[in-house]
Amino acid sequence: MNWTRLSLFFCLVGSLFAQDKLVVWHAYRGAERIAFEKLVDQYNQTQPAITVSTLAVPYDALADKITAAVPRGKGPDVFIFAQDRLGGWVESGQTVEPLDFFLEDETRESFLPVTLQAMTYKDSVYGLPFNYKMIVMIYNKKLIQKPPTTSTELVTVAQQLTKPDAGQFGLAYSFNDFFYHAALMNAFGGGVFSQSKPSLNSKPNIEALNYLMKWFRQDKILPEDPSVALITSLFNEGKAAMVFSGPWFLGEIESGIDYGLAPLPYIEEAKSPMKPWVTVEGMFITAPSKHKEEAYAFIQYATSKTGAGLMAREAFQLPANAAIYQEKDIAENPTLSVFRKQLDASVAMPNLAEMTMMWSPATTAMNTLCRGTDTPQEAMDAAQAKLVEAIGKLRKAQ
Amino acid sequence: MIRIQSLSLPNLVGLLLAALLALGLIRWFGNQTLKADQHAAQVRRAVISAQALAEGVEGLLDQDQGEHLADWITPWLQKPELEQVRILRLSGAQLLYDNRETASLPRRLNKDEKDFFDQANRLKSARQSNIDEGLKRKDEIEISVLPHQLQVCAPLVREDKVVGCVWARLNTVPANPWLSTLQVVFYALVAALLFGLLHGLLGQPKSAGKAWKPFGLASALLLVLVGVFVVLNQAALNSQRQKASDSVHQTYQSEYDQFVQGVAQLGLALDPPAENRWDVDSVLRPIGTLDAQGHLVSPELSSGLSFRNLVLCFVAGWLILIFVGLGYAQRLVRTLRENREAYLFVSPAILAMLVLVFFPFLFGVLLSFTDSTIYNTDKAPSEIWIGLQNFKEILFDFDIMTRTSDGMVINFDNFYWTLGVTIAWTVINVFFGVTTGLILALILNTKNFAFKRIYRVFLILPWAIPNYITALIWKGMFHRQFGVINQVIQMFGGEPVAWFDGVFSSFMTGVMTNSWLSFPFMMVMCLGGLQAISSDMYEAARLDGASRWQQFRFITLPSLKIVLIPAIIISVVWTFNMFNIIFLVSAGEPGGATEILITKAYRIAFEQYRYGYAAAYSMVIFFILLVYGYFQVKVSKATEAHV
Repeated sequence: MNWTRLSLFFCLVGSLFAQDKLVVWHAYRGAERIAFEKLVDQYNQTQPAITVSTLAVPYDALADKITAAVPRGKGPDVFIFAQDRLGGWVESGQTVEPLDFFLEDETRESFLPVTLQAMTYKDSVYGLPFNYKMIVMIYNKKLIQKPPTTSTELVTVAQQLTKPDAGQFGLAYSFNDFFYHAALMNAFGGGVFSQSKPSLNSKPNIEALNYLMKWFRQDKILPEDPSVALITSLFNEGKAAMVFSGPWFLGEIESGIDYGLAPLPYIEEAKSPMKPWVTVEGMFITAPSKHKEEAYAFIQYATSKTGAGLMAREAFQLPANAAIYQEKDIAENPTLSVFRKQLDASVAMPNLAEMTMMWSPATTAMNTLCRGTDTPQEAMDAAQAKLVEAIGKLRKAQ
Repeated sequence: MIRIQSLSLPNLVGLLLAALLALGLIRWFGNQTLKADQHAAQVRRAVISAQALAEGVEGLLDQDQGEHLADWITPWLQKPELEQVRILRLSGAQLLYDNRETASLPRRLNKDEKDFFDQANRLKSARQSNIDEGLKRKDEIEISVLPHQLQVCAPLVREDKVVGCVWARLNTVPANPWLSTLQVVFYALVAALLFGLLHGLLGQPKSAGKAWKPFGLASALLLVLVGVFVVLNQAALNSQRQKASDSVHQTYQSEYDQFVQGVAQLGLALDPPAENRWDVDSVLRPIGTLDAQGHLVSPELSSGLSFRNLVLCFVAGWLILIFVGLGYAQRLVRTLRENREAYLFVSPAILAMLVLVFFPFLFGVLLSFTDSTIYNTDKAPSEIWIGLQNFKEILFDFDIMTRTSDGMVINFDNFYWTLGVTIAWTVINVFFGVTTGLILALILNTKNFAFKRIYRVFLILPWAIPNYITALIWKGMFHRQFGVINQVIQMFGGEPVAWFDGVFSSFMTGVMTNSWLSFPFMMVMCLGGLQAISSDMYEAARLDGASRWQQFRFITLPSLKIVLIPAIIISVVWTFNMFNIIFLVSAGEPGGATEILITKAYRIAFEQYRYGYAAAYSMVIFFILLVYGYFQVKVSKATEAHV
């Protein structure tokens, strides 16, 4: 009782200083920040009802600030964040507002389905998808003329270009990082949770790992211990012909390297293309906000063709709005179109609160596996046991 | 010292205050349990009504007889406590029924009714979560408490899915308090009066040996008073609570009758429930004291004033008695008055310490006794109180080794393994830090050593660079294929080492990094100490024919003790809690084997979201360092005495 009273008190204190404006927290910098502020300016000119103001918060501080400030009524009305923390925020309560009530069918349909799925937690939509990121194939045009589209082609090309003695590899990606491995896992129909129960050691997951080990040990097309720094330097030295990575990698490529993008290849053994995990940045309305309807109008504008289009053109974001890809300049953009194509073969990264518990056992499993001390089955059994234990300690019946 | 003669007045005041406090607390606890009981009964009655309504509504909707909704609900509305009933269907956000609405129903919910829609949606996802996880974890029926009112939202279920909800607002009767404050004051005054009388009869203490007499008398009176007070008033409390629990099954029975009557009147093909589905807890499990018709089948649980609470009340009162009766209060007031300025000057610091140090610390202590996780941060600590459970789980888990078909396997998650690693980590690091620092200081202290200043600057550099940057550089150097260290090993024809794969090698990566970071501090301390040693001593030793080793052993080391011991003490604490290096270099690899206590606590809190358990973990770390600190103070005192 006293706790609610206390938080009520804070709300009251907060409301004394609140003005009739909509506050948006984001973590954008550079071009993205300029573009987003432009978007907000535009919105402020289109309607007189409310003034939207933005606050840039450093990325690594944003999630914690939201967790701490929002439930106590000290946070913004709207914030922008990826879906990975969504489950935790819903579970701890008083943070994000469900949007099902506002959401009309045409709005629902205006987004690329995977991106909206990322914003959905236990059948409720909590945010409007703004943009997305995932990994694709990035290749060195000097070494590869036509990017491989199937796993057979991939292995043949990669083997030709691999010279371990010279430190040169046909393919380099952080395959021991579970986020990157997920592309293969999803191709085999695997997943880390099934109906919110852990399923790390499911049969498709083991098949996917066996397949990865074939690339690593038999075909020998991958470097050992592939850290991000290593992959970047290999690619920039022209020693890695192909890299699986996301938009964040493009900025790391040195100007001398002529690179191209292509969707991830089709895995014949899995009868499916590689399906990477998509992280989606969404716009969320906070639960204690006093301007929820205005906030919804704003996020609807921002994620619309106009808003997200501006972010795509001026900040090179990959918009979650489907209609934008009909427009000529976007449709013909070589980078955007590859990512758009890849989105059709992709899976939204789970947004369960328990995902954070998955990383540590999964990473350990990937390490023991790449080291060769455990078979895929052993490694994943151990990881599954750890995850089940951790979740069991957290979830408790009443 | 306390003056013996004046002890009877403080004891009288003390007894009065103690009695007021103890009885006041008992009254508070009693009222609290009574309130809780009355509230629980009210909630149960509201749930029974809502569930009975929902049962009927479900039946009507199943048989497509939605038009009978109003007929079905109207008789219920005659109950004076039922104020408003609303029925919502989730698909299309349709309001099917509202007894206050005159406009045509059903209609879509308005924008300002979003909360209602969200509430039903919450019930839906709660039920789905509970089914998916195979646990009854989330509330499947929502109850909110308003002043003098209760709101219940019960799900409408069809084929195991929530399709809507029945929402009811009921008036509640304010709870009857158990005892008035006047009674407490009356009993306290009686006690004080008795003390005066008895004290007068027994007479003034004549010698110092009998100084305890008035205090003993007051204590005995306090004990008797508490006993009498409880015995006299327990019955009143019990009867009030009985009334509350009786009301529950009366409500159930009347709802049941209503249900049967309604079915008959409307001519519906509905059976009354064959089992108790109405008197349920928040996850829709039957509470189990009533059968399907509302007859009492097992006695209601009733705990009353617990003995523990009574002892607590008495002890609280008795502490006041000790404080006032034995003269400590007077002394405190006196020092406060005498050193008024001093207290004034330190008050800002005390205030800042309270806010910045003691509050977070006490909050941590509080958290460590709860089962706080990400799922229940909104609950008050008393609701998730689990006592010493966390500590038990940490300290009494001796599952360090398990025997499997592959031989012995160490459980790296075990507290004692991590503690062992932490101690080894601390000892080895401090050892290397001190040795390296001392050797370098001895070299730099050589007279006429060329470029001494430049070396000194270079050797302090590792200290000057932020340690996380150093940690990340070292991590890169340990890379299996491309790290500098393996490259060098290969240059000399060795096999590259997979540093983070073995427990020992992974542990050593941290040790190397931390030694690199910690020797400059030790070196600077030693240099300072060395320069303070008078050269006369060495000259005298040389004249006596002491060797270089003897000079070092009997002059240098003992003189350095005064700087070295505090430096070691500090660096033990630093190293014990050296988060950055472990977290960034080995990250606990392989499998959490090289984790130290503080990084483990971090993972528990921010990767597993078990805040209470992590707080208990931190408390254990705190106590280890506290014990260490205690011995450290003793040791430093010993060295001071020596010097």
